[in-house]
Amino acid sequence: MARRSRRASKDGKLSRIRGWVLRLAAVGFMLAIAYGGYLAWMATSEFEGRRWDIPAQVYAAPLELYTGRALSVDDLVAELKRLGYREDPRLIGPGTYRVGLARVEIATRGFSFAGDTEPEQLVAITFVGGRVAALRDSRGSRTAIVRLNPLLIGSLFASHGEDRLIVAPGDIPPLLTDTLKAVEDRRFDSHFGVDPIAVMRAVFVNVSSGEIREGASTLTQQLVRSYFLTNTRSGFSAWWRKIREAFMAVALELRYDKSDLLHAYVNEIYLGQDGARAIHGFGLASQFYFGKPLAELELHELALLVAEVRGPTYYDPRRHADRALARRNFVLQRMADEGLASNDAVQHAAEQQLGLVGNERRPSTYSAFLGLVRRQLSADYARDDLERTGLIVLSTLDSAVQSAAERALDSGIEALGKNAAEFEGAVVVTSPHTGEVKALVGGRDASYEGFNRALDARRQIGSLIKPAVYLAALESGRYSLASVIDDAPIVVDLDRRNTWTPSNFDNQAHGLVPLVRALAESYNMATVRLGLDVGLEPIADTLQRLGLAQKPTLYPSMLLGALALTPIEVAQIYNTLANGGFRVPLRTVRSVVGEDGELLQRYEIEIAQAADAGAVYALNQALVQVMERGTGRAVRAKLPDDIVVAGKTGTSDDLRDSWFAGFTNTNLIVTWLGADDNRPIGLTGSTGAAKIWAGVLAALESNSYSAPAPEGIDETWIDYATGAPTAARCPDAIAVPVPDTDYYPRAFGCNGETGIGARIRSWVDGGAR
Amino acid sequence: MTELLRSGFARGTLLACAALAAACTSLSAPPSRNAPAPAARTSPPVEDARPAPTPVPPPVTQPVPRTEPAPPSSVDVPAARPQSDASGASGALLEQSRAQRAAGSLPAARASLERALRIDPNNAVLWLELGELDLQTGNATQAATMARKAMTLAGRDGRLTARAERLLRAAE
Repeated sequence: MARRSRRASKDGKLSRIRGWVLRLAAVGFMLAIAYGGYLAWMATSEFEGRRWDIPAQVYAAPLELYTGRALSVDDLVAELKRLGYREDPRLIGPGTYRVGLARVEIATRGFSFAGDTEPEQLVAITFVGGRVAALRDSRGSRTAIVRLNPLLIGSLFASHGEDRLIVAPGDIPPLLTDTLKAVEDRRFDSHFGVDPIAVMRAVFVNVSSGEIREGASTLTQQLVRSYFLTNTRSGFSAWWRKIREAFMAVALELRYDKSDLLHAYVNEIYLGQDGARAIHGFGLASQFYFGKPLAELELHELALLVAEVRGPTYYDPRRHADRALARRNFVLQRMADEGLASNDAVQHAAEQQLGLVGNERRPSTYSAFLGLVRRQLSADYARDDLERTGLIVLSTLDSAVQSAAERALDSGIEALGKNAAEFEGAVVVTSPHTGEVKALVGGRDASYEGFNRALDARRQIGSLIKPAVYLAALESGRYSLASVIDDAPIVVDLDRRNTWTPSNFDNQAHGLVPLVRALAESYNMATVRLGLDVGLEPIADTLQRLGLAQKPTLYPSMLLGALALTPIEVAQIYNTLANGGFRVPLRTVRSVVGEDGELLQRYEIEIAQAADAGAVYALNQALVQVMERGTGRAVRAKLPDDIVVAGKTGTSDDLRDSWFAGFTNTNLIVTWLGADDNRPIGLTGSTGAAKIWAGVLAALESNSYSAPAPEGIDETWIDYATGAPTAARCPDAIAVPVPDTDYYPRAFGCNGETGIGARIRSWVDGGAR
Repeated sequence: MTELLRSGFARGTLLACAALAAACTSLSAPPSRNAPAPAARTSPPVEDARPAPTPVPPPVTQPVPRTEPAPPSSVDVPAARPQSDASGASGALLEQSRAQRAAGSLPAARASLERALRIDPNNAVLWLELGELDLQTGNATQAATMARKAMTLAGRDGRLTARAERLLRAAE
């Protein structure tokens, strides 16, 4: 009994323990299942999520080639190089060109964005005198216009810095995937996410060497590792990580096709670092290292990218060329061994240099421009949409103008004899009629993504405000460019105690001068007198109509530019002038295309009449006189004789800011120079920013400013110095536009030349304006 | 002389007599191209003046640049007459835009016009067609503005001005 009961109790105890063990095991099993499920869920949701985790890709405007376009052979070749076209005498395939005497032949790549399609084609371009003389297609017949594919200038990646350029499954070269398998994962097509044979081999090698020397990660495991970026290399956590990776890899394999996994791998794997920007995927790496699309890589280039999979830092081809070369040639050898490429081809490829795109070919990261793209798009798109949904943004950037502007700012500041520490600068270039921003430079180092002065440096604009004062005067109907005002000392009562006595830059008074001269030579006292007569309110209103977003404070000092604006705000105001009084919002984006290729949005030209066309026409003629006779004369002299340009200098108090804004029919350019800490830089608008401006303009094109006189505008000849009516043949005579409703006497003598001339002048001065 | 008389009549007989006398005097005097520059011209432009004492510039004798009215646009009927080079490209795009418009794809027609405008922004016809597209898509405000913009570029071309006025009337 007792024994029995004891046995029974012993049995009971055993079964109880067994029960506990079973229960524990069941719980443990369920926990393991739950954890496994959790890992599988993590892996698949990451996989699904990453498919969409593509920052918006921003493209420059495509280069339009047409007869008559100002373009040199060098300019075109530079653009082709930026686009990664190869010089090839046989023109073998899209993306190649050959150069002859005043002639370039191109096999273009073609493109298609949301229904806007440009076919691949062979085109021969001949040049005469810095212009395109003719375009001919492969059959030798003339063609009107051809576009090159747009340059990818960057992407709106998140600040934590992963960037990628997605490659569609059909665009992945089979040789790439074959080579990846040959080098990284021989049994990819047959294993289930982990490769036991490779693991056993690796374990043997590692155990016998006492450390982890050889990896056996399959491509799927590498993909998982890339998703979860925990790269502990040793100890227990390394083993635990490997087990988790293996589990997740199996989970992914159960759920997805091999081809899906391979596609994800090609677009995901980490292949390099560009400052704060992590280069993910072969599409972007191809651009980053070779400046051309994946499909155009040659054998040795493809091999280098595969080599980088093993460790983009250790094998960094720009910093450790020897290691990268050795690894690349190892990959090439593997290709030959596996029969992926012929021995001859591999032999030839192994003799090639790394062939990286040089830094001179990547002069700009376009970061300032991309900053404005992001700012403008964020009005319509959530940040997450921009950074993760693979949008394609077709922008307005003209890459030739951008590089010209960057060079002009940098070399221009150098030519001023100042060193980098002393001051900074910014440049904005727009197309006045369409409002498209062609280029934006936010500082001297355009490859550095720092303070974007073109958008964020808010500085006193000085005399840049004067055109608004004069435009308000012209619009009032009480003044014309021929009207005479007194440039004499003036005391302005600010309040009961304080007065303001503006003075001219040369501390002289110039007496009675016509409006055109007062503006051309930027006389302060005459401008204050004019502005007070016109009224601060109408001037502020004019500024706002021209495009100033906020209403300025109505102090008299506003008349001389005691108003702080950013270069892009100045560009908006002057763009309205350059566009004949029609305001068009400055745009950086033409259209946005979704990842699936459908058009999401087009940003069309929208114009609004902001000022009287006749008044703006007259004002612009005065801005031409700024360049011919006034404060812009010194830089004007450096430009070709036959070009007509309009512009205005601006200088803030104590020479802290040097501004210039000026335009032709095709370009509005605003330049600013100043110190970030607002110290004086010792330059006026004409000794500083105007030179940068002229440098940019000289590098662009030779179009002039010209506009037909609108209805209701006549012209009359006056003496530039005094405003007296003068015969056209007289030495200082200029023609100024005036409303045809006003009466202007016509003179036959020169100002001050004869007694009768003097009588005419007194007659005019005494008469109505 | 006739203009002088006309202006004289406009201001009254007395002034006409004075002006006639002035004209006769100055016509009898030899035309002087070497007249001394007025005193005001001897000082350099203000903003250039201070940093360094620059030598006095010679009097400006070069002819003043004047903007001529732009020649009437030649792309209106692209095939009809020889064109300037730039309008060859913009003319082709204008044709393309018209074909797209006729086929009912208005966004594409608009995109082609905008391409043409980037090449040839002073061409009144392109702005007119853009305005006509705006009118067709119900954006009367833009259409009217485009018509006004075209008018400022039409210069003395009566046909274009009339077309712009028609568009403006239709939009208002």
